[in-house]
Amino acid sequence: MSVSGNVFRYPEEIRDDFLQTADIQFRDGSKASPAEVWHYLTEIGPKKYPHIYDYSNYYGRKISGDVTLPFSLKHNYLIMTMDERMTKAKQNGIPVVFVQGGQSVDPYYAAGAIALRPASVGIWASCQHEGLNLNQEEVRRANQKEKAYRAISFEVCQSAGYENIQEGTVPVDMIAPYSCLRCSDVSYGLEAHRHGKRKDVKLFLADYPLDHQKDKEWAITYFAENIRRLIESIDELTGGKTTAEDLRKEIKLHNEGRRLAMEIADLWWSAEVPPTNGKDRRDLFQMGGMELHGDPEASLSLLREAKGYIAERVKKGQKGFGVSDNPVRIFVCGSCVFPNEYRIEEVGGIVVGNDNHWSDITTIVEEDGDPFYNLAKAVLSYPYEQSIKERAKWTVEQIKRSRADGVLFLYNWGCNTQSAVARALVDEIKRESGVPTLIIEHEQQGTQSEQLQNRVNAFVEMLK
Amino acid sequence: MALKTLEIIKKRLEERPKEIEKARREGQKVVGWQGYNIPEEIIYALGLIPVRIGVGGDDRMVEIGARYISTKNCVFVRETVGLFAENNDPYVQNTDILAFDATCLQTYRTAEIIQYYFNKEVLILGVPRNFYWPEAKVYFTKEVEYFTRRLEKQAGKKLNYQILADTIGLYDRIRNAIVTIYTYQAAAGNYLSWEETYDLIHAGYYLDRREYLSLLEQVLAELREKQGQPFIEAVEGEARIFLSGSVLPPGDKKLIKIIQEVGGRIVGDDLWSGLIPYLDVKIPENSLQGLAVGYLNRTPHGALPYLDLDTDRRIKRLKELIQTFKAQGVIYHTLRYCDPYTFKAKETKDILQKEGIPLLEIHTEYAGSDFEAIRTRVEAFVEMLKNRYDEEVAV
Amino acid sequence: MANVSAFAGVDVGSLGTKTVILVDGEIAGYSILRTGINTEENGLHGLETALENAGLKREDLKYIVATGYGRISAPYADKTVTEITCHAKGAHYLHPQTRTIIDMGGQDCKAIRLDEDGNVTDFAMNDKCAAGTGRFLEVMANVFKVSLDELGPLSLRATEVLPVSSTCTVFAESETVSLLARGERPENIIIGIHHAIANRVGGMFSRVGIESDVFFSGGVAKNIGMRKALEDVLKVKIVEPKKDPQLVGAIGAAVIAQNSWKRGR
Repeated sequence: MSVSGNVFRYPEEIRDDFLQTADIQFRDGSKASPAEVWHYLTEIGPKKYPHIYDYSNYYGRKISGDVTLPFSLKHNYLIMTMDERMTKAKQNGIPVVFVQGGQSVDPYYAAGAIALRPASVGIWASCQHEGLNLNQEEVRRANQKEKAYRAISFEVCQSAGYENIQEGTVPVDMIAPYSCLRCSDVSYGLEAHRHGKRKDVKLFLADYPLDHQKDKEWAITYFAENIRRLIESIDELTGGKTTAEDLRKEIKLHNEGRRLAMEIADLWWSAEVPPTNGKDRRDLFQMGGMELHGDPEASLSLLREAKGYIAERVKKGQKGFGVSDNPVRIFVCGSCVFPNEYRIEEVGGIVVGNDNHWSDITTIVEEDGDPFYNLAKAVLSYPYEQSIKERAKWTVEQIKRSRADGVLFLYNWGCNTQSAVARALVDEIKRESGVPTLIIEHEQQGTQSEQLQNRVNAFVEMLK
Repeated sequence: MALKTLEIIKKRLEERPKEIEKARREGQKVVGWQGYNIPEEIIYALGLIPVRIGVGGDDRMVEIGARYISTKNCVFVRETVGLFAENNDPYVQNTDILAFDATCLQTYRTAEIIQYYFNKEVLILGVPRNFYWPEAKVYFTKEVEYFTRRLEKQAGKKLNYQILADTIGLYDRIRNAIVTIYTYQAAAGNYLSWEETYDLIHAGYYLDRREYLSLLEQVLAELREKQGQPFIEAVEGEARIFLSGSVLPPGDKKLIKIIQEVGGRIVGDDLWSGLIPYLDVKIPENSLQGLAVGYLNRTPHGALPYLDLDTDRRIKRLKELIQTFKAQGVIYHTLRYCDPYTFKAKETKDILQKEGIPLLEIHTEYAGSDFEAIRTRVEAFVEMLKNRYDEEVAV
Repeated sequence: MANVSAFAGVDVGSLGTKTVILVDGEIAGYSILRTGINTEENGLHGLETALENAGLKREDLKYIVATGYGRISAPYADKTVTEITCHAKGAHYLHPQTRTIIDMGGQDCKAIRLDEDGNVTDFAMNDKCAAGTGRFLEVMANVFKVSLDELGPLSLRATEVLPVSSTCTVFAESETVSLLARGERPENIIIGIHHAIANRVGGMFSRVGIESDVFFSGGVAKNIGMRKALEDVLKVKIVEPKKDPQLVGAIGAAVIAQNSWKRGR
């Protein structure tokens, strides 16, 4: 039963075309045919996860209605099968490592593990509960989060899966993020696990050095050593021995994903009218990070297929579903949160890009030479992790390429390190690009009130 | 019970800003620094004047700072930014170069903001989070070397290693003096309170370090004469309190005053604005590497994560200090949005509970609006400690 | 009545002033008044009213203990003690098996652990956050245009729990307004709010550890919805209070007054 009284169904008319599309290729060599995907999305999904099919605009994660984009359907399939796929991988002895958003995952996969960021772990946990409507699912989520606040502090901006890991609902084997400047909760959230009841979960921190790190040889060497130790720690779990060649191969694979995402972005941004809606665009760009589905090969097969569809829409001048004519183009900066794209589209805007995640996706790793050093150097060059001026310079480039009309800096309640530079970064962006900006504090725990929406709407109206 | 030397120190602190102004006119440069892992010896040995900047307790300054940094940063960093925005503090006005370390990410952001808005020359010292690794010591040594090269440029001269050796000696004596004074303040029949000791430490943020040492030694001489050999023991009717948690910088006396007002006696701390930076410092050799390793091997700052609870040196030291100072309870002070300490509050409480040490967390900011609320908590805590003590005596 | 030895406990809280008179260990009279601006007068007025209620005179009072925020302006008191210690003594007096007290008052909420003699062994209180306080519920009652007393019963009429994730007064208010704007049923939002508060204060209370029997005191303890939500979230049974739960602090203060007088201090 839907809370909004509005349930999404994939229309039968698109079925035949969809069945002609490519298989999803998985890392373990298996495949999912479009017929299987279709069956899941139309028969199994609606029964198992009614909340995902809730078709209210208030629900920022609702299914995109753009049904002629096969990657969008396949993405939903991959999200809904997260629990099944992870359980299968675990049964095959593949360790699951918890990481952070906005970091590359090449070394984890090179060592034979699966790397999941907080949002993916949240999806995995959510998939273990069947038959919940949207309200029930959100209450469940909030209750879970509260457990983490109890154990750590209610000032933790996002509990980073703490509750699910500690309760064992998501059986991760290791927690091993990069520390990064992006978020100070990464280190403290990781440290908090040492006092938890789960003693079998391995803890590791890839120590990200700060301050002009990419220009300091000793910082790169130090981070390369961190990657080496990270891989060794995963090897202890698998009993394997990861070689430099394994890492090089993995980097090449992930570079392909990153390059594809950038090519797709260029296509998307070059289009007169946005070829997809904001939700599909965000998912698509983010696939280039290769961690969204817990399976880089699956993400890659979606990206490969998507590129052609986007190119065709751009050529035909076809607009994404739900996008208004001449929408106001918004670029979103700041923390790991985003506004409800559907509601922005309702009032005549569209989100054309985000800096978070995109920063690591646009950082291609050098393929020749020592892969540890190359990866370390690339990771330390993430634009998002640089000084205010450098980060702003890169952001302005993205704003120009995406032809954004306005910049929204959104930081999460309790996000110390992004909120700290919100004003400085926005001042610098304004100075360098002349684009209007707005800073909004995203409310506690990811809820989005009408007040927040009001401010976003007013900003869109102003830019019209 | 005030000691004579404390009066002298008070007077010298009043005179100090003018003195620094004069030194600057004569060509000396002032390095204002903030953080936990900056080896101040290098600054001093290069003939630069080190001043540890950052004060607390002024909500108006916090508001000014929040215009540049955000309300989701702790009040200490907001006030630091406020100090530079207003530019009235004599030490801030007289700072030529700023040095910040990357121990706490919010302090790092503070440096970025000050650099961006107030055009200050800022030197950052990178600090490893996996500080216990040999590779981290190599990285930190390189950072200290790079830091030194930039300081040398500012000083217009190369670091002289004979002077560095003398400076390390001077600083070792300062550290020893402070540690000894702590024993006196915690003893029975003390002539110096914890609060006075704390002020004494903060005086060392500003005074010339050579003069500071001689003043500390005078304090010690007075204490020896009046108090004799210090003996730490709990006296009936006392509620002996140990302070832990977030920074309590000069000027932030709200909690300290409340504890004293309701009849608690502070006997020790492991604050980074208190005793802890002076403990366990062993510089293994007269070199930049020696300094780097010596600093990293101290009791680590709470902002540096450590992933194994059983071997955590910070917690081990906390337990030892509680014993040394014969404290009966811990008041764990956390500033809002000071995640390094706030996130560890429950953990610390659980650990100390196993040792039979009660812990009260006070989560606060500089605004005075929660004064009464804090008083109630602290007073109840003191009532509880005294009651426990009464029972022990009765049994 | 000759030679009456009466003892008074005065609890001047942020919203209410509560006074209890104890004679021979029994409650002889009490009063509950709304706290006004003059703290000292509030306490004195409370005392007079309670004395009247007990049929006693001021001279009968041998010892007065003041507690609550107003204790610092209580020159009439022989001693002042924090409400934390008082709540422990009060709950112990009413229900000696009490090991945990959950107290939700006007601007504070707290969890207190006590031993078999009613001594405090640990406690935790909310900080600046108003979650779980009477003040917070007042703000919410205002949003729904109902009186504070109606909130609890309304929440029991809910058909489903709506997600209200914030317990920050400001955020929760804006979330509530948003849910109303979307046409949600008020009782479903109200139960969501109670649920969120129980979750948040439950978290705070878990820091001291909850052990049975659990005693619920303070003005908010009269709210049946809150009581039920707490039982759900904490998975404990809350004991039925024999007296008005708002009086617990004042009862404890009166008990301490009696003990102090007997011990001659």
